[in-house]
Amino acid sequence: MSWVTATWAAAIAACVTLAVTNMLVWLLDRTARAHLLMAIATIGTAGIGVCEILMMRAETPERYGLVLRWVHVPVTIVVVGLVGFVRIYLDAGRPWLAWTVICTRMFASLALNFLFPLGLVYTTVVRLRPVPLFGETVSVAEGIRNPWGFLGPLSTALMLAFFADAAVTTWRRGDRRRACTLGGSTLLYSAVGLVHPTLINEGKLRSPYFLTFAFLGILAAMSFELARDVLRARALAGQLKSSEADARESEQRLRLAVGAASIVIWVWDVERDDFWLSPETRALRGYRDSERINCARFLQSVHPDDRERVREALEASLAGEREYEIEYRFVSPGGERWVSSKGVVERDAAGNAVRMRGASVDITARKAADAELLLQRNELAHLSRVTILGELSGSLAHELNQPLTAILSNAQAAQRHLAGPAPDLGEVQEILKDIVAEDKRAGEVIRRLRLLLRKGEVIHQPLDLSGAVEDVLKITRSDLVHQDVAVTIDAAAGLPAVIGDRVQLQQVLLNLVVNGSEAMAGATAPGERRLTIRVGRDEAGGVRVSVADCGPGIPAERLANVFEPFFTTKPHGLGLGLAVCRTIIEAHGGRIWAENNPDAPGATFHFSIPVAAERA
Amino acid sequence: MNERAPTVYAVDDEPATLKAIARLLRAAGWNVAAFSSPGEFLERVDPAAPGCLVLDMSMPKLTGLEVQQALGARGCALPIVFLTGRADVPMSVQAMKRGATDFLTKPVDEEDLLAAVRRAVESDAAARKDRAEIAAIEERLLALTPREREVLEHVISGKLNKQIAAGLGTGEKTIKVHRGRVMAKMKAASVADLVRLAERAGVRPF
Repeated sequence: MSWVTATWAAAIAACVTLAVTNMLVWLLDRTARAHLLMAIATIGTAGIGVCEILMMRAETPERYGLVLRWVHVPVTIVVVGLVGFVRIYLDAGRPWLAWTVICTRMFASLALNFLFPLGLVYTTVVRLRPVPLFGETVSVAEGIRNPWGFLGPLSTALMLAFFADAAVTTWRRGDRRRACTLGGSTLLYSAVGLVHPTLINEGKLRSPYFLTFAFLGILAAMSFELARDVLRARALAGQLKSSEADARESEQRLRLAVGAASIVIWVWDVERDDFWLSPETRALRGYRDSERINCARFLQSVHPDDRERVREALEASLAGEREYEIEYRFVSPGGERWVSSKGVVERDAAGNAVRMRGASVDITARKAADAELLLQRNELAHLSRVTILGELSGSLAHELNQPLTAILSNAQAAQRHLAGPAPDLGEVQEILKDIVAEDKRAGEVIRRLRLLLRKGEVIHQPLDLSGAVEDVLKITRSDLVHQDVAVTIDAAAGLPAVIGDRVQLQQVLLNLVVNGSEAMAGATAPGERRLTIRVGRDEAGGVRVSVADCGPGIPAERLANVFEPFFTTKPHGLGLGLAVCRTIIEAHGGRIWAENNPDAPGATFHFSIPVAAERA
Repeated sequence: MNERAPTVYAVDDEPATLKAIARLLRAAGWNVAAFSSPGEFLERVDPAAPGCLVLDMSMPKLTGLEVQQALGARGCALPIVFLTGRADVPMSVQAMKRGATDFLTKPVDEEDLLAAVRRAVESDAAARKDRAEIAAIEERLLALTPREREVLEHVISGKLNKQIAAGLGTGEKTIKVHRGRVMAKMKAASVADLVRLAERAGVRPF
């Protein structure tokens, strides 16, 4: 076999192989249109190869001319295939340019080519000339140029422009390797596919056509890219498979965790108003399996007292005002359950809420423990209050004794007046007036006492701390007098109200006042026992109450633990008073602390509580 | 002897209580001087006036015990009826030791209060009478010459004239004359009477 035949046959075989491979890929996956176009282009190239051999082996000018005319068909196929391939595979190159290339080629190679009797290249093939190639002699033509012949190179030049444009776009997109492949192919083709045939056609060069190899080069490069993609796709598929396994695994783990922690995972499709709940938990929440859950159905299962709060929280988080984070009661077949729920809103590009994902945890046990703890804390506070009032019993008796004494003596004086021969009724009237006033005073003392001894619910409401201080001093007045303690109140004017439980805050004040006066009782000379109570704003904007004594102070090493339970300096003290005080103040969102007076003997106890507006 | 009507002083820092107590005492017929400030009372009190003091124990500036002390320091022996809101044993003991007549707990019943006041006024009157008597005896004692005083001390120790004479180194007759003068100056009707008078005045036998 001759080298020429062998070379072209090899090229044709390669083309056919590529075509078959790509066609198979396309047949397996119809969406792989790049492969189809590649197959078309390679078939075309094989056709060109066949035509080139026939031309080289032509023995008459007529035969040469006939083949030259028909070679335009595979050329058109190659151009359509390649342009389409670049457009679809690289998603680059201007579409109008692509259409221009295809239309020009079709017009020139199919319409004009078959209109002229001898085709587009020559009007007449004058004669065939033998030219040596690979040690053989092959035929090349010598003819007269068709004036429309320029259309072929023009179409090819337009195609090169389209390729260059696509290469630049690909390069800019950052895909430099493909840009180089396309750019390099274009350069090669402009040499072999445009310049070389033009020179032959113009009669400047006596050579057979090598178009097959030019196209084959481009196709090989492109096929290489396609093959790489196939390989990458396989790798990706492998990864996908393993990540699917991973996802299944983590879903399993999540389910396990969700089940163990009794977490309900939910997704709310806001547009369709549809709740999805993890399947195991639907029954827990009292929903039927197939039941559609919308927002109204969900709210219906929320405890009526919490419903409005939940609705408001959902709306606020959809509006983007705050995160959805709420604790509420849920009414399910198993009874009332406490739930803590958190959710995140997902939005589209325009910022509209699309869906909300979240998780809810059953916190019924914790709530029960909290309530138990609160109850115990209130019990302890009450116990401590009763204890401190017990310490004040002398003072309290005195507070009641004063009006009772006045009442008794007044009444007996009146009896004496009325028993006399000429009763002074004016005086008796005066006396009765005084009796009424004193009785009211006694009633007031009892009311204050009953309030403090009450073992009721803690009620947080706005209250004036200065007023609470004054009330406490009314209760302790006699005790302080008895212990020779002089009290000064220094209350700033116009203090804001704090939110708190009056009874509990008075209990704290009682403890501080009683402790202060007891600290001075043994250690300070009777004339010098002073208790100073200051009420004012603190640095953080809350209201601070300070109770300063001038006793021996607190040893530095014990300052830190005066609020510990069972810390006491009194021989019969339980050591719970200040510990309870700290619990109370912390429950009010405030803090309590002790320090020794910096430039005087004695210690000062401070507590501060946030003002009403700040807590709201 | 003083013929002035007794005055009951009432001191309590609590105006309502003070007013009621004073009212009751007045209704019972007492002449009452009421003070809501112990300081003012101490300024105005007349040690010569007979009567008693009804005093509240717990007051902020001057406590009842301090008022008692201040009165004592001035030599004013006005009997005190203490009123207290609390039954404080150590404090009442202290008050009683210093001579309080009574210690009453508020609220006080009129019977208790009036009885205590009556007792206090009576004891004041008795004390005043006592003090007047002693003063008279002391006056008589001052009229004695030193020799007569010596004789008095011997007589009240129960000695006979002869023993006294021997003791003083003089004659029995002289002693008899001195003894007659002592009896006359002391206005004593008998030796027993003389012994009583000397005892009241705190004269100790030789």
